[in-house]
Amino acid sequence: MFKNVRALMVAMVALVVLLSACAPKTESGSGNSGSSGKDGDKVVIQWWDSMTSEATQGALKEIIADYEAANPNVKIERTYISFADIKNKLLLGSVGNQMPDIVWLDNPDHQAFAAAGILADLTEPIKEWGQADKYYEGPWSSTVYDGKNYGVPIGSNNLALYYNKDMFEAKGLTPPTNWEELKEAAKQLTTKDVYGFAMTAVKTEEGTFQFLPLMYQSGSDITNFNSEGTIEAATLLQDMVKNGYMSKEVINQKQSDTVVQFSTGKVAMMINGTWQIPLLKKEGKVNWGVVQLPENKQGGTILGGENWAITNASKNKDIAFDIIKFANEPERLKAFDQAAGRLPSRSDLLQDPFWQDDKDLKVFADAMEVAKARAYGPEYPKMSEAIQIMIQEVISGSKTPEQAVKEAGDKIEPLLKK
Amino acid sequence: MSHKSGASGSYTLSRKAKWFSSWNSYLFVLPALVFMVIFIGFPLIYNLIMSFQNVNVYNLSGKHDFIGFANYMKSLKDPVFYTALQNSVVFTVLSLFFQFTIGFALALFFNLKFPGRNLFRSLMLLAWMLPVVISGTVFQWMMSGDFGVINYFLQTLGIIDHPINWLSEGSTALLGTVVANIWIGIPFNMIILLSGLQGLPDHLYEAAKLDGANRLVQFRHITLPLMRPTILVLLILGIINTFKVFDLIFIMTSGGPVTSSTVLPIYAYQMSFTTLEFSQGASVSMIMFLILIVISIVYLRMSSKEEVH
Repeated sequence: MFKNVRALMVAMVALVVLLSACAPKTESGSGNSGSSGKDGDKVVIQWWDSMTSEATQGALKEIIADYEAANPNVKIERTYISFADIKNKLLLGSVGNQMPDIVWLDNPDHQAFAAAGILADLTEPIKEWGQADKYYEGPWSSTVYDGKNYGVPIGSNNLALYYNKDMFEAKGLTPPTNWEELKEAAKQLTTKDVYGFAMTAVKTEEGTFQFLPLMYQSGSDITNFNSEGTIEAATLLQDMVKNGYMSKEVINQKQSDTVVQFSTGKVAMMINGTWQIPLLKKEGKVNWGVVQLPENKQGGTILGGENWAITNASKNKDIAFDIIKFANEPERLKAFDQAAGRLPSRSDLLQDPFWQDDKDLKVFADAMEVAKARAYGPEYPKMSEAIQIMIQEVISGSKTPEQAVKEAGDKIEPLLKK
Repeated sequence: MSHKSGASGSYTLSRKAKWFSSWNSYLFVLPALVFMVIFIGFPLIYNLIMSFQNVNVYNLSGKHDFIGFANYMKSLKDPVFYTALQNSVVFTVLSLFFQFTIGFALALFFNLKFPGRNLFRSLMLLAWMLPVVISGTVFQWMMSGDFGVINYFLQTLGIIDHPINWLSEGSTALLGTVVANIWIGIPFNMIILLSGLQGLPDHLYEAAKLDGANRLVQFRHITLPLMRPTILVLLILGIINTFKVFDLIFIMTSGGPVTSSTVLPIYAYQMSFTTLEFSQGASVSMIMFLILIVISIVYLRMSSKEEVH
């Protein structure tokens, strides 16, 4: 019995050794399969994005079809990957050599991917293209790492304050323009069934995304995290929850959950993004409006959005960049951003009446001038995690704002130096 | 392998034939073995190697250096690791205890003959067949502090006077996930125990009845001892499965608030895919693997003793 077991073990170990010895070889041999290759005499370009809405996908497919029609030798294979997965898929793909040519990235992740060596350096082709100065500073900065350029912005969004017009009217209130008014409005609008205020505090990037503007408004930033301003922002959250103006449940409610609470009249004010407008217009059951985020020491909002990038593994970087240029031709980009509910990252496009004449979109368009990008270097994911934990600590009341901010600051400080 | 244990008196096979027949039986195992090596063995060893290297976001696709036990030391020095370990133990023990006792009670119940038994037994399995994403989301809704049905019932019945935020309160978040996991695990426990119960010989119970043993005595002296092997297998599978639970907690609380429902798999995931410290995440999964190996060895020891008896 014992002997057999030993024989089995030997066989297993032998097989493992054999397989792991083969593994690198097979990987490099089949490396092309996931990446670009030839389909007959056509060049195949792999394209990954995480766009779900029908309108966005339609606009995307149009760009792809137009490009293929203009360039019969190129075939673009688009793969949808869910937003939650695309980061992991890329990281794992870079190890397994299964990489697309073109990929869409959430802009705060861009620098980390550039640092990981996954993205192609596009500094030269972008210089030749010569359109960099048309883009807003915020979105553009998210594509730059270590002085080099790793991508082009697709579209942007930012945060503003949505409010329930009927509830405000009933109390004779006007939308808040500063924190004092915000607190007062939250207090007055809170009833047995309605929370005065809501913003997500989930333990993902969404939580950080919504908290950073409060810091900016209080005159602090990640670069001087352990400061009075951050404590003020954390205190605002804690007070909102402590006084019952905001539900403690916000730590489990994503931005998409907050909008449901708002659109069903359970919440009187919420901080949320540009992309919620189409949904509220279509399905909102309340009479809503939107204004700039209230100011504390100063005004400020945060920039979100996606960028184009080309992977380092791509064998057809020139064609991939040609596709990006094609998609960024102003008219084409305009049609896309309109359909997709995004703000153009280009200042020339944003002047279009589509964004300037719509009173709701105008709020977000105006905020583009001040919207700050999360360009804090490749260690940003760790900083973001420290902030998420801090937010949950102050909301759950397990730590005082001073204590929580100090602890998060201690984690963030060494990361900034890298 | 059984052909050898019972063959002590009949060594009629030549050595060669014996060798052949024993290797022959390995041949039958080979496909499964190859599958396991590729899909379990290879990732495991890859992970083991990675846990001794410094793989992070900067060098992911480049060269990795061996750095010895540094990742393990770093993980073991992190206070969150111990929170996660403690949560894992609490989660596993509570889940298993209730899954098992409720599952056993239901198994005894469904072992009785009554009309509609098969229908109800199949319905019970639904909980187990539902994808975890669905059951997790439904439990998340039910436990919501603002509009959850659980708070509604408890308030209507006058048990609590103000709503409890089950999943966003540090003191109850882990318990909330345990409750959901118990619900998911009961049917599995029930089915395994039920199949064990149905294999028990009737004549023992008849004899006991003649001797005047009541139900409780029968259960204590016939059912339990005979069910021991089944119970052992079930518990060991339960420990391994419950210790690994990731999806349910990730869906319900993502480990929060703060770290109050972070178990080891969530901690390892966050290391690898939130903060992008791949090798440290690998070290945490290796520690988990070690813990489970130890438990499995204890089980193998116990079950081999069982066979001797």
